[in-house]
Amino acid sequence: MEFPTKVIGDKAYIRVTSDLDTETAGEALRSAFNEVYEQGNRTVVLDLSGAQIINSYGIGKVLMCYKRLKAENGVLMVKPLDGFVKETFELLMLDKLLPIDDSNG
Amino acid sequence: MSIGAHPPCILLADGNEQSRQMFGTFFSGRGWSYDVVPDSSAMAGALEKGSYDIIIADVELSGPDSSGVLRDILEKHPSQAIIAVSPNTTYEDALKMFRSGATDLLARPVDFGWLERVVQQIVFSRRNDERERATYRFVTKEQAEMRFSCADLAQLSSISLPLVGRLAQSGMLSHTDALKIRLAVQEAVLNGLEHGNLELDSQWKEEIELDGSDRFSSVRRQRLADPRYSERFVYVTLEFGIGRLEITVRDEGKGFLNAHVVQANGKVDSLACSGRGLALMSSAVDEVRFDKNGSVVTMIKRLHERKSTEDYGS
Repeated sequence: MEFPTKVIGDKAYIRVTSDLDTETAGEALRSAFNEVYEQGNRTVVLDLSGAQIINSYGIGKVLMCYKRLKAENGVLMVKPLDGFVKETFELLMLDKLLPIDDSNG
Repeated sequence: MSIGAHPPCILLADGNEQSRQMFGTFFSGRGWSYDVVPDSSAMAGALEKGSYDIIIADVELSGPDSSGVLRDILEKHPSQAIIAVSPNTTYEDALKMFRSGATDLLARPVDFGWLERVVQQIVFSRRNDERERATYRFVTKEQAEMRFSCADLAQLSSISLPLVGRLAQSGMLSHTDALKIRLAVQEAVLNGLEHGNLELDSQWKEEIELDGSDRFSSVRRQRLADPRYSERFVYVTLEFGIGRLEITVRDEGKGFLNAHVVQANGKVDSLACSGRGLALMSSAVDEVRFDKNGSVVTMIKRLHERKSTEDYGS
């Protein structure tokens, strides 16, 4: 499993194309993040519209990305969320931590 | 495949007049009953007034966002079958519609022979489901038990809970509640596996290597290959009785519970390396109880009243 990435301007985008609730999906996120991070991108946007479910494992991976960026004054953002994933982010107060990117990237 | 004496009843939601006529001619020719609406607002309105075996909906309907409407419909009618009609069958279209709950996707120009087969399959399955639901309302108790080795759990992408599916189909759980319970069980099982049986410490997630990997993941892999840990089991018991569902998850480790991970006000620390699973469990059910230092987790969900006999359409 691979999550597609692209860079537009100063932002790198990672499109999560499956539920983020398994080790396989978590590793796909880590791999996609490493790719854009090693290219020097320090503003990374996660598009989670392809995920219906995110569990604590998936959230752990998201936070790992957040911490690595923050350590270098970078920013992790998310595309506007909906459904159960949005509810989960609100429950865990991640919506306060990760700004929304509402650009067209 | 026979669909018996009850022909399909279809709601067609299509903004194009010519397309509506083509579908109408096809439905009439087969003796199927149908209603037609021109947009997604009217589609939601039609479902307030009646029920349909299948909704055939154009993804480019005018009105509110079609995928949002599909999700709203499925929240109220979890077993509703929906065939999405799209001018393009791109990956993005298909993914969006399936994520929104579409049962199948139909490309334009419409292959009516293929549509007929899909409708017959859906209606045949629906008639069977209706018979099962009609019977399930007489069930007053059901229990399911599952046992997983650590190696089993490392291979499984998710755990199927047919009993929870039956409760959702019979209207005793909403679609969202069923999804939350599935997630809560997954969280409890994951805790039982990692913190119970494999005795992994959450703090190890903070120890990150240069390649982005962490100590937690590497020790997890080692212990899954070590029979002293990997041959331990996680047991899941689901018991449905009148008015409630009780789920117990038990592992064979020393317990994973760290009381400090959930703050006294019930809020979770977003950045803490642990505690999120417990918060997700708590949000899914009415009561969570931890025994034996977390080696036994019991979750209780109160159920809705059963639907009346008439709601089953039997």
